[in-house]
Amino acid sequence: MGDSIIIENLTKYYNDFMALDDLSLRVPEGENIGLLGPNGAGKSTTLKILCALLRPNTGKVYLDGIDVLEEPEKALSRIGAIIETPEFYSYLTPEDTLNYFGKLRGMKGETLKKRIQEVIELVKLEKWNKVKIEKFSRGMKQRLALAQSLLHDPSILILDEPGLGLDPRGLVEFREIISAAGKKKTVFFASHQLNEVALICDKVAIINNGKLLAYESIADMKKNYQSLEQAYLQLTGGNIE
Amino acid sequence: MSDFEKLGIVIRYEFLKHLRRRRLYIILGIALLVEVLALVLIPVLRDGYPDSVMMMAGMLTVGPSLAAIGAIFFAGDAIAGEYEGKTGFLLFTNPVKRIILWTGKYIAGFLAVAAMIIFTYIIISIALLVIYGEVPLATLGSFGLCVLYASATLSITFFFSAVSKGSMGATVMTLLFVWVVSGIVESILAFTGNPYWFLISAGGDSIALPYGSMEQFMAGFGMGGGHLGDIMGNFEPLSIGMAALGMCIYLVVGFVASIWISNRRQLA
Repeated sequence: MGDSIIIENLTKYYNDFMALDDLSLRVPEGENIGLLGPNGAGKSTTLKILCALLRPNTGKVYLDGIDVLEEPEKALSRIGAIIETPEFYSYLTPEDTLNYFGKLRGMKGETLKKRIQEVIELVKLEKWNKVKIEKFSRGMKQRLALAQSLLHDPSILILDEPGLGLDPRGLVEFREIISAAGKKKTVFFASHQLNEVALICDKVAIINNGKLLAYESIADMKKNYQSLEQAYLQLTGGNIE
Repeated sequence: MSDFEKLGIVIRYEFLKHLRRRRLYIILGIALLVEVLALVLIPVLRDGYPDSVMMMAGMLTVGPSLAAIGAIFFAGDAIAGEYEGKTGFLLFTNPVKRIILWTGKYIAGFLAVAAMIIFTYIIISIALLVIYGEVPLATLGSFGLCVLYASATLSITFFFSAVSKGSMGATVMTLLFVWVVSGIVESILAFTGNPYWFLISAGGDSIALPYGSMEQFMAGFGMGGGHLGDIMGNFEPLSIGMAALGMCIYLVVGFVASIWISNRRQLA
């Protein structure tokens, strides 16, 4: 099995601010990797470059071996993504939205209809399927975002704080859905919530100031630093007491 | 899946957006209200409708002109809105070329504005048929110029939407450019005897030209003598051909520039 995601020597500046500093990372196919780091560490920037939303100053990124910068459409066809706190077109219903995005990905007819039903049930939005999104809460939008990321059954899931805005029950449900999806897919998952990452992921990459500080299994982290929390705090320069 | 098929999907859902938004119906309502006011006030204020059907038709073009301006309200958020409203985080992660997305949005906006223009010309045609028993052939020319004006205005709005952070900024900048800046410069150039066909507001003025020249309209209202006559003496008449050329330039340059800028824009 190869690497689903390859990040090579990625550097990104926002004017004079260096968001990524020669970041390199490989995510093997089928693994669930957590991307941890404090605010401004470069997590979202990394995921946005992977999703062709941003261009790096230097470096390359590949999804299933496809160069994202050279062939963005082909690379994007391999992924499902939730980036930041996405907003939807408020005048559409979840059904309209999933139809739109499904069709853009080449799905059609009964296959699309059936799949929309499946993902809507998965994220428990059945009752809201025909309601305009303008009436949705933050958590409901987040559920819909997860549904659209899974709609076309992508081989790679790229998730940026997917649990944001969810209530405790929603968080548990999300974790179960992502864990189940992660058995068949590669999941690259950025979060602040260490316990969520520990429950979903096999390995974690910790970054700060755009640099990779550690990339190892959660078991090894716990062995080397007592706990994932201690590893995070020590590596990112926090209190280790 | 071909880019052409994807373009069709984008157009369909963007057009659906226009149909579901109130602004389409508000602009249409305003355009219709203006037509009704013209039909009611003209006979009251000048003892009946003008004798010439061409003059009346020219006066009624104010409704379709307003409908064409509706392009600004449809397109102000077309590009800027995806960044400002964060909907781009979902839309742009789909495997679709950005140029397909922008072109689809442009065509959908054009279709919505064209539908409004068609509707207003139907109202004009019915009114002229009822009052004069005929619809001048020049109405077709006026309709064509109005559609061209709407397309050019849409391109200008796309340009401002591409360079603006927010939709409101894009809408306001376009309105200022089309109505205020272009209108003022046109007046200065026209009444000092200089050419002004290259201004977008001249494109708006040209919509009534198939029915007659500005001098003919003013004479029809009993104007043109005295001090106004002196001012009009320097007036540089606008030709339909040059006005159409000016609008074509705005259409092409505005659209190409907006695509070029948008394709380089990043979603941070």
